[in-house]
Amino acid sequence: MQELPAKVSESLLELVDAQRFLAHMVVDEQHNLVQLGGRLDHYGLTGLAVGTQASDQLSFMEGMLPLYETPFLIRSLEMPSGRIADVHLFADGKVVWIVLMDMTAEHNETRLVQQKAYDMTLLSEREAKLIVQLEAANTELVRAHTALAESREALLVTHKRLQQELLEAERYVRSVLPAPLTEPFLLDWLFVPTTEIGGDSFGYHWIDAEHFAFYLLDVCGHGIGAALLSVAANQTLRSQALREIDFRNPEAVLNAMNLVYQMELHNDQYFTIWYGVYHLPSGNLRYASAGHPAPLLISGVPGGPCESRLLPAKGPILGMLPRTNYIAQSSVIVAPCRLYVFSDGAFEIERPDASMLTFEEFQAALCRPPDANVSELQRLLDFARDTRGHHVLEDDFSIMKLEFRG
Amino acid sequence: MMQKKICLLGAFGVGKTSLTRRFVDSIFSDAYLTTVGVKIDKKQLDVGATPVSLLIWDIAGEDEVSAVRTSYLRGAAGYLLVIDVTRGQTLEVARSIQARVAIEIGNIPFLCLLNKTDVPDWDIADARIDALRDEGWSMLRTSAKTGAGVEDAFAALAQRVLA
Repeated sequence: MQELPAKVSESLLELVDAQRFLAHMVVDEQHNLVQLGGRLDHYGLTGLAVGTQASDQLSFMEGMLPLYETPFLIRSLEMPSGRIADVHLFADGKVVWIVLMDMTAEHNETRLVQQKAYDMTLLSEREAKLIVQLEAANTELVRAHTALAESREALLVTHKRLQQELLEAERYVRSVLPAPLTEPFLLDWLFVPTTEIGGDSFGYHWIDAEHFAFYLLDVCGHGIGAALLSVAANQTLRSQALREIDFRNPEAVLNAMNLVYQMELHNDQYFTIWYGVYHLPSGNLRYASAGHPAPLLISGVPGGPCESRLLPAKGPILGMLPRTNYIAQSSVIVAPCRLYVFSDGAFEIERPDASMLTFEEFQAALCRPPDANVSELQRLLDFARDTRGHHVLEDDFSIMKLEFRG
Repeated sequence: MMQKKICLLGAFGVGKTSLTRRFVDSIFSDAYLTTVGVKIDKKQLDVGATPVSLLIWDIAGEDEVSAVRTSYLRGAAGYLLVIDVTRGQTLEVARSIQARVAIEIGNIPFLCLLNKTDVPDWDIADARIDALRDEGWSMLRTSAKTGAGVEDAFAALAQRVLA
């Protein structure tokens, strides 16, 4: 600067003064303001009094004197007017010069850039933190997924074992059902449990050379519990395991069964049953019922004109009341005819529109002419499934047909 | 009236300006506005029976390229060292600043403020805070957003600088 001609130096100073709104103050060794000059009003520094302590009037001078280093710069200080100034402090002998230069434009520009940079940095920090959290969550998810897969595997093993056991149970339930007969009359049946294993069961056997017993029972509910009871009851009848009971007498059989199978002794389960004894020489049928649907007797040859009637018998559900006397009914079977014994699941069928199949419709289905391509009972099952609108029925479907030819 | 210069120091974005605004003007804004340079505010309070005027230097935060100018603390009676509890690295910045101030200015009174405690997602383990306490740091919890602990923090520092 010393090499510059005075005119140039002065011109430059004027330029700086015009652009930076130069202002100055001088402080003596007692820290009193002793001189003021320049554009102090630009910074809102009006009313400064010479001869008083600088720090009382200029807050930024608090504790700054004596100067520890010179020159000393306080960069970008917000002034009372809102302008931003660089504050330069210079020691000059025993006095200190305070020079203010307006840096508002630079400050605003710096602030914009810094704001962007800090926003980006804060975003990056947040992103990094989120990534760490996501990775931790992912690790936790993988761990949970692995645990779930292991549980699923264990469940599958258990499920497979239970399925196998269920299959064996189903096999056993079916194994107690006797084979269809063709002589001296035709006896066919169909048994379709609604789940893998049902609560229906039935059986028939010759008590002696003249008396043929046949029966069908329906335990409340489905599944293993119902199946166990149905098989137990079936076995009791099949093996005639009721002491001192004449199995040719339906009412005696049901009375005894009722005592043996009281619900409180059998897991609160009870069942309906129809039990009949056909006397071959006379064609007389004696039967009793414990709350079971009445069998249907249809006279005439299949396909010809037919007349149907129910074989009702009154009696409460078996297992509910200990003191019950079932009363047998009898009817003479006149060939040609067909006798159908069934569970309620064969005809109590709800359509998709929630209406129920009527017994008359069920009866009419049984009176249809035979179809050479499909057995009568299979056709009845197809009819039930069509009515239901689904392959799986709501209840066990069990039916026995005894056909007496002329 | 007695005047005391105090400074607010810490990493950028820890809430120094928000703490000052909350203390001086009782206001808070969620919008983050960076500080460039210095802003000086003044507030009077009583320390016991002694009225004191605090000159509060809100100094631009430290970042990776620019360090806090400790020479600004010349003549300061004390300072508040601010940490953002949701950003663990601001604690290390505070440690660094405190060490430099101790060397260049001396052991003047200071308090460490754990700011943004209204946010539940802390990024600073209790063990790190306990370690600073063991070194003799006084830690106070603040939230410029809710105002929790702010008045107490400035009052506590004022009390220390007058002690």
